Amino acid sequence: MDAYRAAGVRLYALSYDEPDALADYAEAHGTTFTLLSDPDSEVIRSFGILNTLIPPDDHPWYGLPFPGSYVVDADGIVVAKFFEHNFAIRPGPEQLLAAALGQEFQVPTPAGDDAADRVSADVRIDGDRLPMGVTRQIVATFRVPEGQHLYSEPVPDGLVAAAIELDDNDGILSYEPVMPPTSPLTLSGSGDTLAVYEGDVVLRLPVAQNARNMQKDDDGRFVTISGQVRWQACDDAECFLPESMPFSFRVEAGFPVLGDMGPGVGRVPAMNGAQHFQRLIDRRAGTETRAEDQ
Amino acid sequence: MGIELDTRGGPTSGPYYEDFEGFNMPEPPGHGSRRIPRGDFPTGPEVGTRLPDIVATDQTGRQVDLHADRDGQPAVVVFYRSAVW
Repeated sequence: MDAYRAAGVRLYALSYDEPDALADYAEAHGTTFTLLSDPDSEVIRSFGILNTLIPPDDHPWYGLPFPGSYVVDADGIVVAKFFEHNFAIRPGPEQLLAAALGQEFQVPTPAGDDAADRVSADVRIDGDRLPMGVTRQIVATFRVPEGQHLYSEPVPDGLVAAAIELDDNDGILSYEPVMPPTSPLTLSGSGDTLAVYEGDVVLRLPVAQNARNMQKDDDGRFVTISGQVRWQACDDAECFLPESMPFSFRVEAGFPVLGDMGPGVGRVPAMNGAQHFQRLIDRRAGTETRAEDQ
Repeated sequence: MGIELDTRGGPTSGPYYEDFEGFNMPEPPGHGSRRIPRGDFPTGPEVGTRLPDIVATDQTGRQVDLHADRDGQPAVVVFYRSAVW
């Protein structure tokens, strides 16, 4: 939250809860950003994102949105949005903030005598925690010298496409990689047309931690994600040897606020939502007793 | 838009649910069944358009007009399930 404030980016979170439920939540968790109440799902409907897979008679759950996030610029224009099929998976705050700021990852500066003639690469994870259900991205950046290129999948035998590959990390899932646009390159020999990357290239691989079946160390507080970045640079005349850069990131396993499940840095006990849930049901059933009537 | 329910996931042992991609998460007793869309589903206003007005009550009881409240700053607007359950 401090990072958002420092960056001058406002944060709002909207749900179908009553304002006093949000007040209790904010008190229990020390929430400093704005929680918005949409108890009749009017905003959710106006956005067209009501989850219509939930039938109206399924009343505690009816009124939920397809969950997602919008990033708007200073003029209120949507510059990015993030929606996942599974509501339990969502992008991390760093990704949302980076989108709000229009930030791009810095590509590595070449080092060494022949550096200017060779691809330089770097790999990092865009956060220091991996709470369950919140994705982080493994980010590989390349600076490709003028006249050279990297390949995108698919490639013919003998060539290596630029990619981020995970080891068999128990309990870590990866999702569709986020790739930059490619340009077509027709090989003079075979006449095949391949998709290539040129210039500064950023590949991202979203990863998530499973709730179970995973190895964590130090009493469950940390998780390690390992793998390698592979690439092969070519110019118009020849290809260089394939290269790889191994990585291993040890990050706090963390826990999301609502997943009060066990030890972990950042674990926060959830508030007791039972009374608010009962009111939600009562209100839907038309038997609501309002707080001010009691 | 016809939205299809994703039935590829399902409960695993204990109070857990695993989706088709293998993401495994707790499904506490008392929560509604998973209603995850398969394929296209509506995601609201498009990138490049103005975010529609949002006027709603916040946790302090204040009426918030989002575009006025953000006071010319960029913003992240999250739609989520519930703070209660």
